[in-house]
Amino acid sequence: MSNVFVRYFNLMLITLVILSLFSFFLAYLFPGHPIENLTGVRLADISQLENSEFKYRSGESMLVQYWHYMSALFEGNWGKSFNSGLPLYDEITNVLPASIELSSYALFLSVLVGIPLGFLAAMKHHKFTDYSLLSVSVLGYSIPVFWLALLVILIFSLQLGWFPLSGRISLFYEIPKVTGFIMLDIFLSEIEDKQAAVNNVIRHSILPTLSIALVTTTLIIRITRRSVIETMNTEFIQAAFARGLSTRQVLFRHGIRNALMPIFPLLAMQFTTLLTNAMIVETIFSWPGIGNWLIQAIYHQDYPAIRAGMLAVSALVVIFTMSIDLTIRLMDPKRRRLKRAAI
Amino acid sequence: MQRFSLYQEEYHPSPLHFTWLEFKQNHIAVVGLYCLLFFVVITVFCPILAPFDPTLQSAGDLLIPPAWYSNGGISHLLGTDALGRDILSRVIYGCRMTFGISVILVILAMLIGVGLGAVAGMSEGFRSSFVNHVLDSIKAIPTLLIAIIIIAILGIGLVNSMWAIMLALIPQFVHQTREFVSREMKKEYVLAAKLDGANNIQIFFRSIIPNMGEALVVQATLALSISVLDISALGFLNLGAQSPMPELGTMLSEGIEVAYIAPWTIAIPGGTIFLMMISINLVGDGLRSALRNRLLH
Repeated sequence: MSNVFVRYFNLMLITLVILSLFSFFLAYLFPGHPIENLTGVRLADISQLENSEFKYRSGESMLVQYWHYMSALFEGNWGKSFNSGLPLYDEITNVLPASIELSSYALFLSVLVGIPLGFLAAMKHHKFTDYSLLSVSVLGYSIPVFWLALLVILIFSLQLGWFPLSGRISLFYEIPKVTGFIMLDIFLSEIEDKQAAVNNVIRHSILPTLSIALVTTTLIIRITRRSVIETMNTEFIQAAFARGLSTRQVLFRHGIRNALMPIFPLLAMQFTTLLTNAMIVETIFSWPGIGNWLIQAIYHQDYPAIRAGMLAVSALVVIFTMSIDLTIRLMDPKRRRLKRAAI
Repeated sequence: MQRFSLYQEEYHPSPLHFTWLEFKQNHIAVVGLYCLLFFVVITVFCPILAPFDPTLQSAGDLLIPPAWYSNGGISHLLGTDALGRDILSRVIYGCRMTFGISVILVILAMLIGVGLGAVAGMSEGFRSSFVNHVLDSIKAIPTLLIAIIIIAILGIGLVNSMWAIMLALIPQFVHQTREFVSREMKKEYVLAAKLDGANNIQIFFRSIIPNMGEALVVQATLALSISVLDISALGFLNLGAQSPMPELGTMLSEGIEVAYIAPWTIAIPGGTIFLMMISINLVGDGLRSALRNRLLH
């Protein structure tokens, strides 16, 4: 058991170090002076400030510079944005929760819909239900997510006027930022009509959630279907049928557990797809998340912001996938013997 | 002619033919294949097929609806956009941009990825585990994010976005090839080739590549769909192909401004990407299940 922990911790550490090294060298790869890209302070200002620390460290070897970069990262000093001049740490902690919120709604929705439909398709293998679900899923994951978002806006916001066009909450409500997760913030805040605010948030998040969730749902349907079909063809299932158990009993006692176990790591992999799609959809719905923020940073050539944003997103993805994988490894006795941990 | 007949059948289909026979069983996948061939034809012959120059602006013909609207005309079959450009011609040229570039990118990424993967799969010990770690950490980052970072380094533009997407596609091919090669290297036919005195390069090209071909094609269709989606997404976000170019994603983002009064300006380019993606995915799925079924027999 502790062996598994050590191995995973090791792998995660190495991956994060590689990512941070990469983000450090990005400062050298980007156009402009590396110090500007690392600190976000324009060089003219530095000479005005006569900040000896910057000069001193830029003359040292790469390794020492990287060391200082890392210690600054852990102190929460991520540099400043060229564009707004605000500290990047604050900006990212502002926008990242919004993206996580949107992605987790979508992940929750797609798991809730995808897994039962996948089971349904697998239990009706080679029948009409299976074929129709399969064709719908091909349509679903072929739709370009930005086109889907545009169509949804055109139909539900502009034509029918059911849902608001963009944003996260109506400007009418003023929610003080505590955690960055709007739902929690509403509960923590002291505004008068919390129910109305929650309703408003839900109305704002329905369209973006749906347009992201569609692709993930169809992928989950396919993953689940394949896994259940493979599980139902194994010999212990045949043996259970031979003992006279009904389909229902077989499914609930043996099928679900064994079919779901291999799915979870794949579900964790979907998180990256989800985040990518969320980044595109955010720009369309003007959702104040990390995707929207990063793309704005590219338009404005805000290199410190790109560097910090990339590090934050990839670290989030790596930590999320690894912890899901570790949980699965601890839960599933069959996988415990595999030699190497992998993301 | 006297013949020593071991089997009932007169001729024995090759593995490739077997795959085709299995693939043909799936009618929807065959439709997808014809659709894909249609896109290939459009991509190759687009200067002949397009009725107008895709960047030709005619001030008199702004926002003409498609022919099936009551006030649409026959000269512009799919209507015109906000600058009076013929949408049919732009979509035809857009297929060449989006689809043609994707095909080239996938082929290049496949060549590089398979080469690197073969080296990684044949190496052992520390080097192999180091490559594994690096690959795993890259695989965790979404391709579009990698592409966006590379564009941030190189700058905005179509050529830069092509570089970005190609680099972002390579890790998948490396990963697949490495797994496949390291698995095959333990098998006996490779051992036999080794005993015959073949070196690593000969083993890879003569023994492993023929077995890997079909799996690679399946992976390539997957990469093709990712690449089409990413090119059009980057075009849509104004990070890839820039505005006058007839790229499907760029057309879509131009259409947003007039989407309410002229919905066809976003419906047609988006629908084209959708159709392209469906045909690629259908062929990929069909191939995958054909290969799986062939191995079952």
